[in-house]
Amino acid sequence: MADLNLPPPDQHDEQSDSSSSINDQTHREKLFQNIDQFISLLTNLDQSESSSPPEITESVTAFADLFDVLIVEYESGSKKWIHLEEHESSRFLEFVDRTTNVLKSFSRFHSDQNYAAVINRLSGIQQRAMSILEVEFKSILDDYQTSYDRDQKGKTDEAKTKQKQLSSSASNVHEAPQPELQDQSESQLEEDEFLGYSDEMISNLNKLAKGLISGGHESECTELYFFVRRNAMEENLKLRRFDKFSIDEMQKMQWDPIEKEVSSWTHMFKQFCTSLLPSERRLADAVFNDEKAISNKLFTSLTRIVLLIFLSFAEAVMLTKRSAEKLFKYLDIYETLRDTIPEIEKLISDEGLHQLKSSASLINTMLGESIYNIFLELETSIKTDASKTPVPGGAVHPITRYAMNYLKYACEYSNTLEQIFREHKRIVRPESEFGSDSGSELEHQHSQSNEMSPFQSQLLKIMDLLDANLETKSKLYKDPSLSLIFMMNNGRYILQKTKGTGEIRTLLGDPWVRKRSSDLRIYHTNYKRETWTRLLQCLSHDGLSVNGKVMKPVLKERFKSFNAMFDEIHRTQVTWVVSDEQLQSELRVSISAIVIPAYRSFMGRFSQVFTPGRQTEKYIKYQPEDIETCIEELFDGRTSQQSKKRRRFIMINGSLVNETPPQETYLHSSESDTSLPSIKNIKISLSIHSFNQFPQISPLNSQNPKCFINSTILHQHICYHLFNQE
Amino acid sequence: MPPTDNQGSFLNRISIRRNQVVYEHEVEDLEQFQKHVADRLSELFHPPEDSTAGEPQESLLSIAWFRKLLDAFLCCEAEFKAVVIMGRDANNFSKSPLDRLIPEHLDRTMKALDICNAITHGIGLLQHWQKLAQIAVDSLRQKPIGEGHVMRAKKALNTLLSSIAIDDKENHHHTKSTTSSKDHTTIGNLKSLSYPFAKSWSASKQIQAMSSNLATPRGGEPTGLVVPVYLMSSVLVFVMWAMVAAIPCQERAGLAAHLQLSKQFPWAQPMIGLQEKIGEQWKKKEKKGRSGLLEETQRLEKLGSNLVEFAEGFKFPVEAEKAEEVAAMVEDMGEICRRMEDGLEALHMQVRELFNRIVRSRAETLDVLDQVNKMTTPVPY
Repeated sequence: MADLNLPPPDQHDEQSDSSSSINDQTHREKLFQNIDQFISLLTNLDQSESSSPPEITESVTAFADLFDVLIVEYESGSKKWIHLEEHESSRFLEFVDRTTNVLKSFSRFHSDQNYAAVINRLSGIQQRAMSILEVEFKSILDDYQTSYDRDQKGKTDEAKTKQKQLSSSASNVHEAPQPELQDQSESQLEEDEFLGYSDEMISNLNKLAKGLISGGHESECTELYFFVRRNAMEENLKLRRFDKFSIDEMQKMQWDPIEKEVSSWTHMFKQFCTSLLPSERRLADAVFNDEKAISNKLFTSLTRIVLLIFLSFAEAVMLTKRSAEKLFKYLDIYETLRDTIPEIEKLISDEGLHQLKSSASLINTMLGESIYNIFLELETSIKTDASKTPVPGGAVHPITRYAMNYLKYACEYSNTLEQIFREHKRIVRPESEFGSDSGSELEHQHSQSNEMSPFQSQLLKIMDLLDANLETKSKLYKDPSLSLIFMMNNGRYILQKTKGTGEIRTLLGDPWVRKRSSDLRIYHTNYKRETWTRLLQCLSHDGLSVNGKVMKPVLKERFKSFNAMFDEIHRTQVTWVVSDEQLQSELRVSISAIVIPAYRSFMGRFSQVFTPGRQTEKYIKYQPEDIETCIEELFDGRTSQQSKKRRRFIMINGSLVNETPPQETYLHSSESDTSLPSIKNIKISLSIHSFNQFPQISPLNSQNPKCFINSTILHQHICYHLFNQE
Repeated sequence: MPPTDNQGSFLNRISIRRNQVVYEHEVEDLEQFQKHVADRLSELFHPPEDSTAGEPQESLLSIAWFRKLLDAFLCCEAEFKAVVIMGRDANNFSKSPLDRLIPEHLDRTMKALDICNAITHGIGLLQHWQKLAQIAVDSLRQKPIGEGHVMRAKKALNTLLSSIAIDDKENHHHTKSTTSSKDHTTIGNLKSLSYPFAKSWSASKQIQAMSSNLATPRGGEPTGLVVPVYLMSSVLVFVMWAMVAAIPCQERAGLAAHLQLSKQFPWAQPMIGLQEKIGEQWKKKEKKGRSGLLEETQRLEKLGSNLVEFAEGFKFPVEAEKAEEVAAMVEDMGEICRRMEDGLEALHMQVRELFNRIVRSRAETLDVLDQVNKMTTPVPY
């Protein structure tokens, strides 16, 4: 169809002959004036006047011819928009503008044949002009860099700059390179502002957009803009390896890879909201600077599309099966959305945001619910955990480790958890605000302050449940002393973890910590009484002398039973475990303090009764120093070194032997917890069938060196077993 | 805890009596539910005749029809939740076969969410098509129709038609390579749009996965909840299937074969009728691009190619007779654009509502199921 519009050849010649541009310009200006006059004549014509319209001036034809010729130059490729001088592009736009006005004013008289013919011709020329503008607009717009490209480029630029700096400082002290460096950093900044479009490109885009809009091609212009920018944004995500997962896919995925995706999602989403979106906003505003409505609409649509991609990911994660290890990533997503959506709201003031906000709030409501429920489940699982296998040596129980580590990491999000608990307590269980749950004594104490937040009381509840659970577990030991050691170990661990984590410490409060410390002292005292008082009775001076004369057989019995009892205590209690070094030394010191002086005095008083030599050797097995050495060996958890000696194992475990399942395996978990002296070897009996129940805990997996989460997961696995042993 | 030991005491007899009454109510509710579903679906199959002549828009597979379909679905879903899931003794769900059927149903709803996302994306594409058609309409409404108007309309329509005709597989990669195109027949080569999922995702396979394990309940199923659960799943699959057939969607090959509905229930009859009608249309359309069966799209496509044909033979001035003919087509197209403009945004919101509803219902159902789990097994983690 284009050939219909080719200008008459003679005119083409005329144009090329006219070399004087000044002549050209005055001619054109006159022409424009005439056209404008004619337009105003038409517009001012009385509307009611139905008589034939005025004759069309020759200027209109001349104008059409001139515009036609101009367009041919572009169509043939001899002129390109990006190479235009300022006045040339303005001229083009003036033509477009005027053509629009002519067409508008002519449309009233479209039934007039002459008018119709002009409309036909001018509309064709205008359409060709628009095509040129569209192509130019798109090709400049297409010349973007993704922010990914820019980052990559930024890196190389940085490297180059550094190199330059190096070479410049190395070569000589010329000032020359200095301004160049400045230039570079400035241009970098501009690129950042406009997503890889230079000032010149922006100004061209702006002019082209103006031309397209004034030519009535707003739809084409905005569709072009929308598509190019949309593709650019999506490409950006693709280059950053943002994978789109369907909800269904995510349902079937393992948590490990999802966890990694969540981390990069959080990072990308924040970056998207804080840097990319504001840049997109500036770009839209710059290209459509006179058309606020258009730039708003375009920016909103673009934001909507990309945000939906991000939110879809969060939705898919939120719909995965709820489980304890997901808590932290759920919290990450929750916080990210909570903090970034208001940032986006600042950039858009449009109803288009309504759906986004509702999506985001759905996600956070659901995540909040999951987070809340995970905590309730922690409560339930501690409550219902009834594993009957005591931890050898009275060491810290895995459930204690699990619960404390879990709470420690959870409390890093304490503010968010407070928020979630406030929201959900209100919605889900309003009755528990009145403390209808049978609160323990401790909880009661705390609630006296009346300022406990829902999360705080949940935390206290969990701690109380843990306590009660450990109390029950301590009863599994037949030896009451070992029960006490167990309580001390676990109590100490809980207290240390609490003190080491500011958030938990604050949430649990001073009275709680004081109560715990005093509990520990009571255990300690009770332990001393339980184990050592009976032994000390052997060293009592009472009943040994009758009328000032020592009764040798009784003395022999006393020494014999002391030796036997001490041997037994030593043999048993070296295998017990006190993981906390300070606690261990406290115990040893306090034992020594009661046993050694008593023994020393007993020896001093009665040792000479025996005839030196064989008799002394037979009854006085230990020197006070030997006793001290032996006491220093207590609570070493020696089992592991001698675990091959089954005899020993039976002794340690006492009641355990009968209860352990036939297939037993020992898992060595060496915890590298820096905040506490680590236990060298905790032995946790895990029956083989539990591995089958939970394939993820293959030993391979648990050895995988990874950050804290994995140690938590390991604990979970262990606990999983323990919780399910029934 | 289920009351396992009936001592035959007076109190127990009262409670048995009461349970009896409750049970009868329940049976009634469940029957009502099935009847309501049947009514709603038949209305979609046989739209009421009394609708005034001015509103013929609710024809099969039109946007208005889909809005009614989704409304019907949302109603069914709400009733399903009220009658079947909520307030029911959780132990109902822990016994076979419901302990399997409910999780399977939930799994289907998860798959439906992906389809919702794909449809949302498809609606975006439809809105783009509407904008292109609108350009043509605006342009050809000019008087007189000059060659510029015709060129502009033709360009927009060519863009529209080629966007519709794109083969899914070719379309999947969009790159910057289109930049170089100096294609004057379409607007900036705006054909491509990336899909919301990975390349391998297929709406057709998704539907297949939803329906493949949807087994018709056998006659002697023990509990009265089996049929309602089956019903809900069937309606869900049907709604998703119909949407995928109509709205541009990633990879739909073989879609027609992926829906098997049981004939034995009265509520299934209207669905089967609809399925046959839609299936017939699908067979004609399956291999032709990505337009789908949406009535509006099909008409845009037809009017679009007629108008392109007109544009190709255009000579100024247009004869009066031809002009009239074109004007009628343009008005038709304008009317479709108007319907799309209003309808698509509303449909979009509705799909989103459906999505939210499914998410919430799933959470609520899981809460009910969790109560059973808490009672019977320690919480695993």
